[in-house]
Amino acid sequence: MNLGGQDVVQAIINGLCMGGTYVLIGLGLTLILGIMNILQFAHGEVYMIGAFTVYFLCVLKGLNLYLAVFISMITTAIFGLIIERIFLRSLKGRFLLYVCVTTGLSLILQTAVMLIFSKGTKQLPSLWPGSFSLAGVYISRERVVAIVMALLLTLALQAFLKRTKYGLAMVASAQHYEGALMQGIDPNVMSAMVVAIGSGLAAVGGALGGSIFNLDPYMGGLAFMKGITLIVIGGLGSVPGAVAGGLILGIVESLLALFFGSQMGIILPLVLVIAFLIFRPRGLFGHD
Amino acid sequence: MLLEVKDIWVRYGGAQVVKGVSLQVEEGSVVSLLGANGAGKSTTLRAITGLVKPYAGEIWFEGERIDGLAPAKIVARGIRHVLEGRGLFPYMTVLENLRVGAYLQKDRDKVEQTLKEVFEHFPRLKERKSQQARTLSGGEQQMLTIARALMGDPKLLLLDEPSLGLSPMMVKEIGKIIREIHARGLTVLLVEQNARLALGVSDTCYVLETGSVAACGLTKELMESDLVRKAYLGI
Repeated sequence: MNLGGQDVVQAIINGLCMGGTYVLIGLGLTLILGIMNILQFAHGEVYMIGAFTVYFLCVLKGLNLYLAVFISMITTAIFGLIIERIFLRSLKGRFLLYVCVTTGLSLILQTAVMLIFSKGTKQLPSLWPGSFSLAGVYISRERVVAIVMALLLTLALQAFLKRTKYGLAMVASAQHYEGALMQGIDPNVMSAMVVAIGSGLAAVGGALGGSIFNLDPYMGGLAFMKGITLIVIGGLGSVPGAVAGGLILGIVESLLALFFGSQMGIILPLVLVIAFLIFRPRGLFGHD
Repeated sequence: MLLEVKDIWVRYGGAQVVKGVSLQVEEGSVVSLLGANGAGKSTTLRAITGLVKPYAGEIWFEGERIDGLAPAKIVARGIRHVLEGRGLFPYMTVLENLRVGAYLQKDRDKVEQTLKEVFEHFPRLKERKSQQARTLSGGEQQMLTIARALMGDPKLLLLDEPSLGLSPMMVKEIGKIIREIHARGLTVLLVEQNARLALGVSDTCYVLETGSVAACGLTKELMESDLVRKAYLGI
């Protein structure tokens, strides 16, 4: 096999693009884990629901793709609010029950979507068809759009967490739970907000993933695994960590797939996870 | 009476930690709660702000019953609790910690005004406002946690062991701060193991022993009672 520099550049762009969708699912997982101290086992299905909402609006109802993505972000955030209120909040601290219920929830959501939309993979229209050439490398436009959208949403989230009262309160709750309570911060408001925001971001991630790759009711499982992986690499509860973790994961996978085949692209990142857990359990940007 | 604790009982796991504590805090006063480790001082404070639920007894604030309310609701009524161990947000800056302290304040101008006042009182915090809280010295962290509580413009300030782990110099400084806070008309309920600090700043004093009030009264009268001095105050 003869690999040129162009293949490597293309693999990196593909990696960044996949990494962008990983970041969008991972941000929600890492923030929910940081603030509520629970792993949202149905978060992959939230991502999937976000993608299918776009499919429904755009492919079945003929809405503009970007408008559909925006609407899906909002409705999936509301869906997240409902999940938080019914399942996550009342089960906080009851670990075993919580794992059972959220795992069950993800199975129910997968089956429900399969029944509604029937079996078989589906695809969303391209975000921006065609490609352009840059210094001899062909780059597809939709991937650049996906990377930019992921980047913009992450910057918006970071600005929210750093600059607004509610954002600061969320960060504070993750750093000292009782200290935050004693400033009058209602933990239920915080958990509702973090699940809603995380779900909205995951919906966009699902839409980007579904537009570039395929859509199927089980797409959430793999995405969830990627989310966990990037938390381990980037560090728990950290936005820069999730971004770094997601992009590293995407690029490493893509380069490994280029050199050693796609199977290795899936397996070797898990070796990376084990290495992080042994040598740097707090990840790149996590706190002790 | 600003705060009235009536015969509260608290259990932690199987252990009785607070056994029928009653105390009163008059508006504008500094009341101290003394006693050895495990006497139930911190737990009494934690019951007031709802961090633990007493299974018997009542807590009244400004003539309304507050036991059973969620902590955030109690704080919203104007009580600020400086936790033992400070409860700072370690990876946030000094300024961010203070801003979170004003979480309940809706009026932005008021927040900026309070921030200015707090920085006037604690110039050292102003110098360090962009530093992460965890990089401050112990004394500065204690100042920050008190300053953060003041950002909430409370009616009643609960201080849990502010002198813990501080140098004698810094303990003096904390005493000065408490007197200043009092001079501004704020009511303070102070839990301390450092009797010298507590007696130096308070008008009224309660001594707790194994979960019950062993002695109480005006600080100057308690100081004159040899029995109390020797048995409980260690001075």
